[in-house]
Amino acid sequence: MIEKTQVIINKLGLHARAAAKLSHLANMYNANIYLIYNEDKVNAKSLLGILTLAASVGNEIILQASGNDEKEAITAISNLFNRKFDEES
Amino acid sequence: MPKDIKGIEIRQILELNPLKILKIHNEKWLGNSVSHPRPQRPGLGLSGYLKHIQTGRIQIFGKTEIGYLHNLKDEEKSRCLKNYLSLKLPGIIVSENIVIEEEWIAMAAHFHTPILISELHTAPLISRLNAFLYQYFSKKIKLNGVLMDIMSQGVLLTGASGIGKSETALELVNKGYHLIADDVTEFYLDSNDDLIGRSNPIIKSLMEVRGLGIININDIFGAAAVLEEKKLNLVINLEKWDAKKKYDRLGEDNFYFKILGLDIPLITLPVAPGRNLSTIIEVAVRNFLAKKSGRKTYLEIKKENP
Repeated sequence: MIEKTQVIINKLGLHARAAAKLSHLANMYNANIYLIYNEDKVNAKSLLGILTLAASVGNEIILQASGNDEKEAITAISNLFNRKFDEES
Repeated sequence: MPKDIKGIEIRQILELNPLKILKIHNEKWLGNSVSHPRPQRPGLGLSGYLKHIQTGRIQIFGKTEIGYLHNLKDEEKSRCLKNYLSLKLPGIIVSENIVIEEEWIAMAAHFHTPILISELHTAPLISRLNAFLYQYFSKKIKLNGVLMDIMSQGVLLTGASGIGKSETALELVNKGYHLIADDVTEFYLDSNDDLIGRSNPIIKSLMEVRGLGIININDIFGAAAVLEEKKLNLVINLEKWDAKKKYDRLGEDNFYFKILGLDIPLITLPVAPGRNLSTIIEVAVRNFLAKKSGRKTYLEIKKENP
């Protein structure tokens, strides 16, 4: 199992469209992937789960993955955060 | 009570729970924090036995307490009240709209204690407060799954992402059963040690169906299709059909899902093409109800074919 701390840098935070992209990406991996924020832990493959976090810009969340492709999964998800979900330039 | 849960301000209790408060004295101190799930009646605390008066508990005064104080001589009365109030209690709620002497209010103000006057009788006041505080302070847990009401049973559908939980739930809603929460269900242990599930308010009545996106069950099927909360009776786990795995053929095995110290009956259903899951789930719940009332089909077969 690996973990990575990730800061949300896009303006709108984990809103619906960003959450959809995130869960879509997470679904491409076999690993179990979780997002942890404020003692809440949700499955990154669940769109509604991500929405319940209501995490916004500047918040720190922890990405956690376990499985054979955990490293690739964390890297890809972290990149998506850093690219601001491809929504802002 | 877990230690990590913070107290709740009296103001928050009033906002969230209608206690039919008519008057608030010493409003300045509504920010006081209650840190215990059970309200307390002072009882002998008023006569000077303060050992079991806990400072984090909200205090309830009914006719007995007020009557007792009125019966005391003036000197005695103020001495007793002073001793009691000096514990710095978070707040006092007086039931049945009983009028309180100005002197007591002033004394409570001195010790930073708000006094609220409620219209309710003492017993309903305590039970409402208790139910509310219990929920607030109870252990909570989030589970990945869809919680539904099927034939008045709270059924949690679990299974790996993409196995078809939401699609099956949608079929069940279409059949007239009720949705409580999709994908993420929040549970708390109530005062009867029942596990009560509800939706996170952000995603209440929402459902995600691949290909359709996020849909609002309330808009599509009407308000009657969604329930606020439901006690959990049964967990049904959906998993990919595995030809090598031994599935229950007779229906004699009992499995349990362990959660917060409770054992909830668990049924594992393999998913394969051609299996109509919503019907199987419906029948599983009917069978669960039959078993609960003592009906055991496999025993009857055994009797007939020894």
